Amino acid sequence: MKTKITRRVFIASSLLVGTAFALLPQGAKKDIKIEPFKVIASVQDILFPKNGNAPSASEFGAINYLINVSSHSSFVKDDLLFLYKGANKLMEENPNFLTMNFNNQSNSLDEFSKTKIGENWLSLLLYYTIEALLSDPIYGGNRDSIGWKWLNHHTGEPQPKKPFGEIV
Amino acid sequence: MKYDVCIVGSGAGASGVAYSLATSGKKVVILERGDFYHRKDFSKDEIAYTKREIFTPNLKECYHTIEDLEDGKWVKTPTYISESTFFNGNIVGGSSNFMSGYFHRLKPNDFRLKSVYGEIKGANIVDWVIDYNELEPYYEKVERLIGVSGEVTEYKHQEPRSTKDFPYPPLKEHPISKLIDKSFKRVGFTPYKTPRAILSKSTDKRESCYYSNYCGSYGCSSGAKSSARESLLNPALKSGNLTIITNAFVKKLNEKNKKVTEAIYIDTQTKKEHKIKAQIFVIAGQAVESCRLLLNSKSKNFPNGLANNSNQVGKNLIFSAGGVGTGQFDSTIMPLNDLMQEGVFVNRSLCDFYFTDKFKGGVVDFLFEHANPISKANKLRWQNGKLIWGKELQKKIFNKFTKRKQLNFEIFNDWLPTDNCFVSVDNKYKDIYGVPVANIRIGYHPHDIKVGKFLAKKAEKVLKDMGAKDVNSSIGSYPPANLQAGGCRFGDDPKSSVLDKHCKAHEVENLFVTDGSFMPTGGSVPYTWTIYANSLRVGEYISNIKEQ
Repeated sequence: MKTKITRRVFIASSLLVGTAFALLPQGAKKDIKIEPFKVIASVQDILFPKNGNAPSASEFGAINYLINVSSHSSFVKDDLLFLYKGANKLMEENPNFLTMNFNNQSNSLDEFSKTKIGENWLSLLLYYTIEALLSDPIYGGNRDSIGWKWLNHHTGEPQPKKPFGEIV
Repeated sequence: MKYDVCIVGSGAGASGVAYSLATSGKKVVILERGDFYHRKDFSKDEIAYTKREIFTPNLKECYHTIEDLEDGKWVKTPTYISESTFFNGNIVGGSSNFMSGYFHRLKPNDFRLKSVYGEIKGANIVDWVIDYNELEPYYEKVERLIGVSGEVTEYKHQEPRSTKDFPYPPLKEHPISKLIDKSFKRVGFTPYKTPRAILSKSTDKRESCYYSNYCGSYGCSSGAKSSARESLLNPALKSGNLTIITNAFVKKLNEKNKKVTEAIYIDTQTKKEHKIKAQIFVIAGQAVESCRLLLNSKSKNFPNGLANNSNQVGKNLIFSAGGVGTGQFDSTIMPLNDLMQEGVFVNRSLCDFYFTDKFKGGVVDFLFEHANPISKANKLRWQNGKLIWGKELQKKIFNKFTKRKQLNFEIFNDWLPTDNCFVSVDNKYKDIYGVPVANIRIGYHPHDIKVGKFLAKKAEKVLKDMGAKDVNSSIGSYPPANLQAGGCRFGDDPKSSVLDKHCKAHEVENLFVTDGSFMPTGGSVPYTWTIYANSLRVGEYISNIKEQ
């Protein structure tokens, strides 16, 4: 198999809500840029806000998930570069994005989605946010199966003992 | 060590040969490109099994070029750009580990399509060199050895059977199957109960199906799914006569005096090259990769590739034509508790139009949308061409998961062999080992689309009669990468075929090809049962060859 990441490392990483960047899979840090992920985490909470029983992106660990999976060899490198590029572009156009309130951030994203790059970036980010919502918790998202519980989805057994199909 | 037989690949086409030979005392070695996964290694991890390249080569390391018609010109696009792999299940047991196990035999007239329906302009249709009766005993053997569950449906196109019933009773069914039966009858169709290559009862070596709700695309954790690994390779390994070498990518077969002498393979973990010698060589790496290996095995006797002085290797590649359709069901059609039952199977097919008076038709299998929650939810982020998010998207996802269920149908009809569907190699495109990759030209015959649309209308009629909402279908010309056959068709004439009736290369004394490559036409069903049956047939033939 490719990069070896144990369940232990994944779970440890997923527990660090506020400091997700502190503990990355070994060998991953050199590829990960922290600044864009702060923007991405903020945008994810607009894409997936707390809404009744629907968990917010922060609650289900969307950013932990993205950091974990994007450091694995199976992640499409061009996707990671595009995630960075879109985050930088959003900040260029909205330098105060991180300190805006929810409504202003939402309005900024509405505007951003009217550009080609904005729409493509939000689509890709939604794609990985939904992966975080509904993938096995071993990857650091779907914390405590919160996404599955919200949708009354029963996952198949057995659940993975190791991520990325590694031989047990 | 020199083996009696060396087999390249370990899927359905390899396993029948390996089983027949190893259990008859021959020393067999299998060279498999991927790892050896056992039951304990499989899980229902949607990311690993459906969202990443885990069980197929990384496309940066090895890929294909897909040659498609653009503005009247054939244009090659590497799959690392399109991000759409044509590899399938590169682990021991091959893609059979991940199949859904919809099992249909071919029918007698599939073996003589040209004689029955005549030629179609632009298509290279030929009759097979064997008939149904020659393959029937092996279809039956597959039912017993590999394990097929079901109940025989008597109807006008039912193929002859040497046994009355399937060896395993039908799997448990979803309540919707009864509604399908009623609608079939109302619109004048026969409710056909789909056989499945999944055990409904345990054996001494394999546990029965445990209805995990995550079947197609996933490895089976009970051994119920009748993969090549569970059903044939594990018993063959027990004989002590089978060796499986994993992470072994075979780059070339060397030949001397028109006999293969050795297989050259690269250990994909150490990147070192090795050789294996054997009396007989069998290729079964799935149609595209088998053709690639032959085309890349050039020598003085075979300047165009091994067994290819006829220039037929790679030609007449076929896939399965057809498409898919959907309909939405909610509590207005059946109580939500019944509708939302998980794990149990639909197992109904429409086979009444397999043959029509004027043209060859096909099969339609009915099934629920796969459980995969990520795929289901991600389809919802676009609405009328606009990206949606926030509360609007959350509401849509919630309703999709909790208030309705989608019944799909999948259409299988013949992908007619043509001059514009083939495998070739091109020195411009190479993998990380410097070996030219396979180019796949994916031209199709317009007749395939007409037949697909004809079948889609029939299937839509059933869904509409059931009361489904938003019924629609889509018939496409893009080939399903997992349903490959042809490329080394068998026949009597060495000028127009690669293999003889025993799937031995006409031009090479000790070389066989036993995946779906041998098939000159594909029938209108998934190929797996036929590939298993033929592999057992050829395995038996090889085991009877007297040593020279």
